[in-house]
Amino acid sequence: MELTVTKNATCTFCGCVCDDIELHSDGVRITHTKAACVLGTAWFKNHTVEKLFPDALIDGKPATVDEAVHFAAELLHAADMPLLYGLSNITCEATREAASLAELIGGVIDSHTSL
Amino acid sequence: MGGKVSCTLGEVKNRADLIIYWGGNPAECHPRHFTKYTIMQKGKYVPNGRKDRTMVLVDIRETPSAKAADIFLQVRPTKDFEVITLLRAMIKDQPVDEAAVAETGLSLEQLRDLVARMKACKFGVFFFGMGLSMTRGKHMNSAALLTLAAEMNAFTKFVAMPMRGHGNVTGGDVILRYTTGYPFGISLSRGYPRFNPGEFSTIDLLIRGDCDAALILGADPGATMPQPAIEHLKRIPTIVLDPKVTHTSRLARVHITTAATGISAGGTVYRMDEIPLPLRPPLKGPYPTDEEVIRRIREAVAKKADWMPGMNGVVAAA
Amino acid sequence: MLRITGGQVYDPANNVHGVVRDLCIENGRVVADVSGGRTIDASGMIVFPGGVDVHTHVAGAALNFARGMIPEQQRMARAITRSKVQRAGIGGSTPTTFATGYLYAGLGYTTVNEAAVPILSARHTHEELHDTPILDKSCCALMANNELLLDLFEAGEFEKAREVTAWLIYAAKAYGVKAVNPGGVTGWKWGKDCKGLHDVVPGYNKVTPGKIISALAKIVDDLGLPHPLHLHCNNLGAPGNFTTTLETMKLLEGNRAHMAHLQYHSYGGDDWYTMKSESATIAEYFNAHPNLTTDAGAVLFGDTVTITADGPWQHLLYKLTGKKWGNIDVENETGCGVVPYVYKEKNLVNAVQWAVGLELLLLINDPWRVFLTTDHPNGAAFWRYPEIIQLLMSSEFRKEELKKLAPKAMKRIILPELTREYTLSEIAIITSAGPARALGLKQKGHLGIGADADVAIFNAGKDVARMFSYPRYVIKSGEVVIEEGEIRKTVDGKGFLVKPHYDPKIEDYIRPLFQQVYTMSFDNYPVEMSRIMHPDIQPCMPHNL
Repeated sequence: MELTVTKNATCTFCGCVCDDIELHSDGVRITHTKAACVLGTAWFKNHTVEKLFPDALIDGKPATVDEAVHFAAELLHAADMPLLYGLSNITCEATREAASLAELIGGVIDSHTSL
Repeated sequence: MGGKVSCTLGEVKNRADLIIYWGGNPAECHPRHFTKYTIMQKGKYVPNGRKDRTMVLVDIRETPSAKAADIFLQVRPTKDFEVITLLRAMIKDQPVDEAAVAETGLSLEQLRDLVARMKACKFGVFFFGMGLSMTRGKHMNSAALLTLAAEMNAFTKFVAMPMRGHGNVTGGDVILRYTTGYPFGISLSRGYPRFNPGEFSTIDLLIRGDCDAALILGADPGATMPQPAIEHLKRIPTIVLDPKVTHTSRLARVHITTAATGISAGGTVYRMDEIPLPLRPPLKGPYPTDEEVIRRIREAVAKKADWMPGMNGVVAAA
Repeated sequence: MLRITGGQVYDPANNVHGVVRDLCIENGRVVADVSGGRTIDASGMIVFPGGVDVHTHVAGAALNFARGMIPEQQRMARAITRSKVQRAGIGGSTPTTFATGYLYAGLGYTTVNEAAVPILSARHTHEELHDTPILDKSCCALMANNELLLDLFEAGEFEKAREVTAWLIYAAKAYGVKAVNPGGVTGWKWGKDCKGLHDVVPGYNKVTPGKIISALAKIVDDLGLPHPLHLHCNNLGAPGNFTTTLETMKLLEGNRAHMAHLQYHSYGGDDWYTMKSESATIAEYFNAHPNLTTDAGAVLFGDTVTITADGPWQHLLYKLTGKKWGNIDVENETGCGVVPYVYKEKNLVNAVQWAVGLELLLLINDPWRVFLTTDHPNGAAFWRYPEIIQLLMSSEFRKEELKKLAPKAMKRIILPELTREYTLSEIAIITSAGPARALGLKQKGHLGIGADADVAIFNAGKDVARMFSYPRYVIKSGEVVIEEGEIRKTVDGKGFLVKPHYDPKIEDYIRPLFQQVYTMSFDNYPVEMSRIMHPDIQPCMPHNL
């Protein structure tokens, strides 16, 4: 196992978005955090690169990402008023893609802010 | 009236001598807010840190954050707007009705003391949480507090900032503002952006049953939204992108597992004061990023016939 | 390959004024000749180098704050509908990023300089510039209220301040240095201002606006930045402020400087009731001092939203208008204010402002030193530039427009006396050749061999506003992006920046101070080069080396 140390990492758990976190990892999980709060530590330690979930599910059955992507495209394309919702736990780069997709499918795009 | 008078968090760290949390519980929800940005920090102009600052907590119940506060003001539930309105009158030396004060659960003395502190401070700040913005009155409460902060600038330096919850909820607002001109609740059904909260906000769309497909990005409405909204998500084809199989995944037609933001997915996120920060993901995971999956969906849709009239022909020849 | 044939070419930088000649383009550059490829018949048309905007606000935290603050204006704004080649968006006072690219290109503009970037949120500015298509972009980092620098000025450590400035410019991936209300924005952090050049900046003992301006102008010249100090003077917008402006210009003798939106700094009178134009005094001084360039910051009547790093001015404007007010103070660096505003013909102050912008453009006799801007969106949105061109080219039209003002305004302005009319060559200078030269972008603003092939082609006609509103063709980097009034193709723009020389050890000085006063990690502060789309690092020519 290769041990790595990441300095000045950014925690995305809450709106504080602290960017002074030190993360130690063994390549599979984050083993140790410095400067993170109790919520941040739990968030970082709660993730691993182990494959705990299927790549994708279609109607509850395991599928490949490719199949799921194409089926998702079909469903969104067929819809008259598709909704894109969320955005708070994805990156800005992903949101930029989402805005572009919303445009293409003539949908509504909305975030937690509207709640 | 309207707008927002605010600052970045470093201004609070360096200058604020009066810090008022309203309807928020940073001790439990934003644990490092006190130590990294506000009361505990030694700042450039508040060199003694905690000793140079006064913290006030306004809330309907005594949360663990009250322990950190110098003054705790317990407002009667649903009376925040009234308290703010009274304060707006009192800073301008307008008479207030004692009966109206009594209804708020606070005494005139408490309010007078708060007004005196607000006027005497060199740099005051309101941080307001969901206890203000998501309870009766909702955005009206936020607007009233923002106005109070703006009006306080006739006397001293004063700012206000929402305590945004989820990690990159601010980034979502920022990106939507510059791509569409609006922060949330945007319809592109006419090929250009339109904004109408109430019409294009998620809960309203779902409860009315207006939308006929949903793509859920890093959220779990199946666990958090009102039942009628969840029922509609079950009725329509729902697609979920999430690092975990969520409640919403279970009612969805499609779930795609994606890399966790900041853990195995890189990019940018915004802090509650709209400062962009880079991610340094320490792990390489087995799943694609949200960015990549959304791009692939977009590319797959782009190959199909366009829904907009006139878009399927050849672009006019050069 | 592309040949533009039969058009009247206006290329004032190469002394070409309305000559019918062919223009040949290959690999994104102007070349002597091409064989084959497409030919555009530009008979009956005029050919300009692509427009260059020296001072505009098109991206970043402040503008984006404004976008969110004015949904009632946004819903009336021009809708930009998605097509096969363009993204959706809206126009209006604060166009969305994609729309900004299309609307600028739609005027024949191909290069813009975003004039106010807080370094702390420069990553955001670049994120928006990345999504602003077609245009080449540069930006200026806000420095005149940066407390790391002010502390060094207080201590008299000029050399170190120069090193820190150089480091900051590159950290922001900026092209130039912007000074906004030097010292005044720092004062605003305590709810104060700094109006006079010799007022001590609140929180300091020795530093004054005058000292900040002199030091920054010298630093920018010493570092040899292609663009001089880009200066928004103290006391913006206030009656009687022309004396501050004159004093500032005197202070700048011996250095280069670009005086931003001079219109807002050329007022006489003692208060709002007696406010009048002092453009003649300002222009007279300016004409005699070739170390200076300026842009008009002209005002047009109508709805807009004002956005500036000048926090105290925005608080005053909020108190005057009673409208919405947005403010963001940026830790240790700068501030920003946003106030929606309507310029009205019958309002005396607004009438003076409208006249002063035009007066300066007409009274400054060297078009190579005064450029067309509205300080977008402060004076008006950039897409209204053709209205100003029409006013400059026709004194008859100005007379008609003057009739709309309150008669009382006539005593406050000198516009009715001015008969100068701009020629097409002069328009090409103030919209392209001049600003390109002031920015130090040698490949822009002209059509000589080797220039970037950015070209705007207009129908020659008498209706000047219409002609400049609807170019027949716009060519960016050799690609035809607009044809017959439609976006036909979008291309990516370049990002211009500089890397002035500094000793890397300066980081050892900055790091501990930074960690004390900022809330971001020092290592996360500099903008990564990978965020700049097609970066183009322009050379610095230090004057003293």
